[in-house]
Amino acid sequence: MIKEKSADWNSIFILLLKRVLTSVIVLFLMITFLFFLLRIAPGDPSQKFVSPDLSPRLAAMVRQSFDLNSSLLDQYKTFILNLIKGDFGISYTYRIPVIQVIGEFLPFTIIFSLICFIIQLSAGFLLALFVVKKINGTRDKIISQTSIMVYALPSFVIGVALIFIFSVLLNIFPSSGLSSFDFDSFNFFQKMIDYARHMVLPLITLSLGGIAVYYKYLRDNLEEVYNKSFVENLRAHGFEEKVITKKHVIPNAISPLIAVAGVELGLLFGGALITEVIFALPGMGRLTINAILSRDYPLVIGCTFVSGVLIIITNLTADLIKAKMDKRIVKGILN
Amino acid sequence: MRNKLLLSILLIFSILFLSSCGKKVPVRQNRVVAAISSDIESTNPLFAFNIDEGTISELLYLSLVQHGWNFSTGNMTTSPMLAKSWDWNKDSSSITLNLRDDVKWSDGQPVTAADVIFSFDVYSDPLVQSRLYGSFKDFYTDTSMHVDLKKTFNEISPYKLTINFKKNTPASFYDIDFPIIPEHVYKNVSRKDFVTAEKEIKPVTDGPFELASWNKNQSIILSANTKSFLYNSNDIEELIFKIVPDYYSQLTQLKRGEIDFMQDIRADDYPLLKRQDDLNFTSLKGREYDYVGWNNLDPEVYKQSKKIVPNKLFGSVVVRTALTYAINRGEILHEFLDNHGEVAFGPVAPIFSSAVDTSLKPLPYSPEKAKQLLASAGWKENKSTGLLEKNGRVFSFTLDIPSGNPRREFAATVIQNNLREIGIKMNIEKLEPEVFFQKMFARELNAWMAGWSVSIPPDLKQFWYSKLDDAPLNVASYQNKTADNLLDEIESSRSENVKDELYKKFQEIIYKDNPVTFLYWIDNLMAYNKRIKNFQLTPLGPFHHCWNWSIR
Amino acid sequence: MRFIPKVWHLIILIAAVIVLLRYNIFINSMLLWIQTIRLIFISPHFAFSQIDFQFLDPLFSSALIIIIPAIILLRHGSKFLQKKIDFTSAVIIILSIFFFLAPLAAGSNPEFQKNLSVTKLLPPFSRIKVLHLKSEPDVVSDQNYFFFLKDLVVKRSFDESIVFADSVVNASNVICYQGGFSIEFPKERVEFHNGSPVVTTKFFLLGTDEYGRDIFSRLIYGARISLFVGLGSVLVSLLLGVSLGFLAGYPGGIIDSMISRITDMFLAFPVIFFIILIIALFGNSIVSVIFVLGFSGWMSLFKIVRGEVISLKNKDYFISARLIGLTKTKLLTKEILPVITAPVIVNLVFQYGNVILAEAALSYLGLGTGSSYPSWGAMIEAGQNYLSQAWWMILFPGLALFFTLLAANNLGKDINVYFNPRLER
Repeated sequence: MIKEKSADWNSIFILLLKRVLTSVIVLFLMITFLFFLLRIAPGDPSQKFVSPDLSPRLAAMVRQSFDLNSSLLDQYKTFILNLIKGDFGISYTYRIPVIQVIGEFLPFTIIFSLICFIIQLSAGFLLALFVVKKINGTRDKIISQTSIMVYALPSFVIGVALIFIFSVLLNIFPSSGLSSFDFDSFNFFQKMIDYARHMVLPLITLSLGGIAVYYKYLRDNLEEVYNKSFVENLRAHGFEEKVITKKHVIPNAISPLIAVAGVELGLLFGGALITEVIFALPGMGRLTINAILSRDYPLVIGCTFVSGVLIIITNLTADLIKAKMDKRIVKGILN
Repeated sequence: MRNKLLLSILLIFSILFLSSCGKKVPVRQNRVVAAISSDIESTNPLFAFNIDEGTISELLYLSLVQHGWNFSTGNMTTSPMLAKSWDWNKDSSSITLNLRDDVKWSDGQPVTAADVIFSFDVYSDPLVQSRLYGSFKDFYTDTSMHVDLKKTFNEISPYKLTINFKKNTPASFYDIDFPIIPEHVYKNVSRKDFVTAEKEIKPVTDGPFELASWNKNQSIILSANTKSFLYNSNDIEELIFKIVPDYYSQLTQLKRGEIDFMQDIRADDYPLLKRQDDLNFTSLKGREYDYVGWNNLDPEVYKQSKKIVPNKLFGSVVVRTALTYAINRGEILHEFLDNHGEVAFGPVAPIFSSAVDTSLKPLPYSPEKAKQLLASAGWKENKSTGLLEKNGRVFSFTLDIPSGNPRREFAATVIQNNLREIGIKMNIEKLEPEVFFQKMFARELNAWMAGWSVSIPPDLKQFWYSKLDDAPLNVASYQNKTADNLLDEIESSRSENVKDELYKKFQEIIYKDNPVTFLYWIDNLMAYNKRIKNFQLTPLGPFHHCWNWSIR
Repeated sequence: MRFIPKVWHLIILIAAVIVLLRYNIFINSMLLWIQTIRLIFISPHFAFSQIDFQFLDPLFSSALIIIIPAIILLRHGSKFLQKKIDFTSAVIIILSIFFFLAPLAAGSNPEFQKNLSVTKLLPPFSRIKVLHLKSEPDVVSDQNYFFFLKDLVVKRSFDESIVFADSVVNASNVICYQGGFSIEFPKERVEFHNGSPVVTTKFFLLGTDEYGRDIFSRLIYGARISLFVGLGSVLVSLLLGVSLGFLAGYPGGIIDSMISRITDMFLAFPVIFFIILIIALFGNSIVSVIFVLGFSGWMSLFKIVRGEVISLKNKDYFISARLIGLTKTKLLTKEILPVITAPVIVNLVFQYGNVILAEAALSYLGLGTGSSYPSWGAMIEAGQNYLSQAWWMILFPGLALFFTLLAANNLGKDINVYFNPRLER
């Protein structure tokens, strides 16, 4: 028995290693693709240095210091050599190492996405539980219809509407930013409230779509499990409905959700973009867009790399959790 | 049991929120919050590339002299700042400055002549890539434009120095007008890595404000430097630049009192905003204009061989004049800018009141006149398409505009219809700004719409000089010998009166040649909270002298 | 017997309403048909030089409106036409009618714009006065008659023979008041009828935008753009996903792992960054928007197709089919395509919803197809700028977008149920 188990873990480890290796290849491909795409595309990072107030010699100087004058392959070689040392280069706009720039923006995005993820899951779950007693009842119909409508609403429409109602008309929540100016003078408790007040509208905006997705998945899964024969069997054996729901139906309905949740969390890391723009939040989305628009090549590559890593990690984690629940699928997913 | 728990959590939350909302945003005494639309990248004056960076760095670091505005003549005035007095020598080839001896850096060190010399050294060092690199034309420099310190400076005492300019150059205060940085902080920084290493160093400043905190992408908080000779106990204590990228969020926050000052308000929003009683309104007459650029030369030939061949459509003065007649500039100005601006006829801003040729009037909107002119140039309407044709060529072109600018999109849409009415087919192509400007500066575009902000004093040579390599901003590739002579004369002349006359002559030539179609000068509409007293607005910007603001 | 509204009722109703409202365009385009056919025989060279999309568009839509009832009569028994109307089918029918009959349904050019001071930001149900100016009489000829008809049918984005006004006064000259301005016209330039100038009214059902353009006609042409962008990019995804999936799944081995890694790479790219990157780098023409949206959505299709192909390869009937010598293309069309149709179609419909949403989001970020095409996303973006003054600018395109997305989602669900009857309740 014990021997079998360890063998199992061994194979998981090997497969995991394989998966990590392919991920590295995928990331490498991605960076290379981006590197060449950025450089063959129109646009010039030194454009910022051409203006009526500046000497034309400056732009030439800057171009040279960005190493944009040497051949494409030479640039690529330098880039890869630096990358192996863990150096993504220096951001053209911020003029500090890319890693450092990302370090300033990444924590916010991760915390924001995780909170949002938790809200989405728990709200979706609660709503599904709320209707589970009477699938296809009035409650179910109302909530299901609303969730479809919410899903169809673009997030920028939700965001703008929320600002209009809660900031402009009712004046309850601030319309943008992460904290007030007097933030530093607050005590810990006030600081938390300040954050909370600023985050209410963005969290609602970003969560609504996901809540609808999770609700729909859970609800459909619950329905499917309820109609399965083993539930009938349990009923026939005289188990209480409550016990059946708690002990058998819910666990069975949740496991397929994990794959979806993994993908959705990955999307959240990258997809908070529009919310960040509407509410002026200092996250990775805005950083990346600005980097793209100002042709900050090293920063674009750095940001995409980090987002890619996050997506790969979340997918992997979801797969591992799934694998833990059901060992049979280990091989299937790790391939 | 569970329900109770939920209920109590809900209750706690609602109490939290109710306690924190309801009241308006706390109005702090002695604090002004101004909105800016994007974060700055540096507080260092060496790298202050955009307007906000310039504003903030000039509040943190003092310059040798300061400027004011004379509204009656439309000229800048100069008054003491770090230098309390000065003497120009007879032929204006050198200046002796007496520095104030009571100015201290924020770490307690005095500001001395050594700092001044060091600043010139760093600003002009090619390795540093400062914003002023390459512009020390009136100084003795080496081949890489690095200022020759030995020839240029003569340090008489820690608070007195002489600056020698190159002989026969029109040296003036503009040459020494930039913020001074502390030598003792930066002297050991390697010049090659200056631009990155500088970020690691905490700013040491001497201006009317100090940098209190800088929250990336959130806010920049400046606090008054109480030790500064500019400080007065009635003045504001904090000036906050809040970063609000979305224009509508700025507007909302202005109405709610979250911010006290906002500029670049769109004319459409002005009337509604004016109902707000706690705001004052003011506008700055424009030194920024929009124009439709017609490439005077053929972009394809130029790209291939750098040869200058007149543009097939816009190479002719008559055609360009006709296009100017055909565009209803007044309607755009009225409908989009609500008349907050004026129709332009040349590159000299109306604020330079003594240099503007007031005898000239912008060409009126007249499609009939435009049709006549085009017919005289050989463009005839093809009945079946309704488009103008000449020798088998259809009058059709693409107008490029940078994306993300509602005003230019609006103008382009109106112009498209204006031109269609006289039989010209114009397509609009929106290019992402980086791509747009790259192509514009490479002179690859046929027709485009963009804007220029005119510097003080106006520097026309860069925009209109015939030698295209010397005039990188002459993107329309306008070439006229007489205009060149005038521009050369303006550059070498010292007398303001002579310059004004030359400016007028130059405007007449541009008026006749219509190298581009000037659209309008745009006023900058601003609003500020009535709490702010002593708000003075000059063409030098709203924050010029903002250390004198006070709160009622 | 109770009346049950069926699909064909709705189609007939909308067609009838369009014909009634736009009877003059309809009749004129019928005349133009005749004149064009005449001219093709008289002077074919001239006639063919006139034919382009702008010209054919209204002609075909007016022809179509006659053909529609005929089709309904012929195929009266079809299951679809006899279906009871529900939300999804209603939205799909309205959209497709607008798609095909845009010139007739809209009645004016979506870019038409004139006299901004009068027409700017008018609320829904506004009426303004139209003064007609005299045009020079043309020599009577076949070609001029053709141009005359063409002007009436092919709506242009400008019209120098009319002037919009808030009010018109007939004094010594004819004076038009336009929002604080006035223009005078000498009497001989103005069209007169019974001693007073001819003044008609122009009606804006859904109001106008900041350029004084009719929102109703922009909405209808926007349906075209949105459908075009949606379908186009879905097609791109379909082609990429199916061909790559087959290419990877069928031979397996090294090609499979190579293509799979590339797919993984695109999956690890945050979709919205990818889209913005490409649009920012290579411009935002409608073609590049279609390609980039299509290019960002093929990965899930690839996974489905590859999975199905691999599992099929090991099935008995497939192996026997290969043994009897079916070629690769035949295997693809005969054996594999039917199996993957169901999941692919469901996926496509959902992707269609995503694409429309993405297009709107792109426009919101200022990277959409731009003001040159009246897409709904661009209209919403423009409306946002005038939120406090002109709610109608954002409400109507917003509703259109919302209903389309809702219908696409419902349709996806219905198709899913259709292919997997197991799910049906």
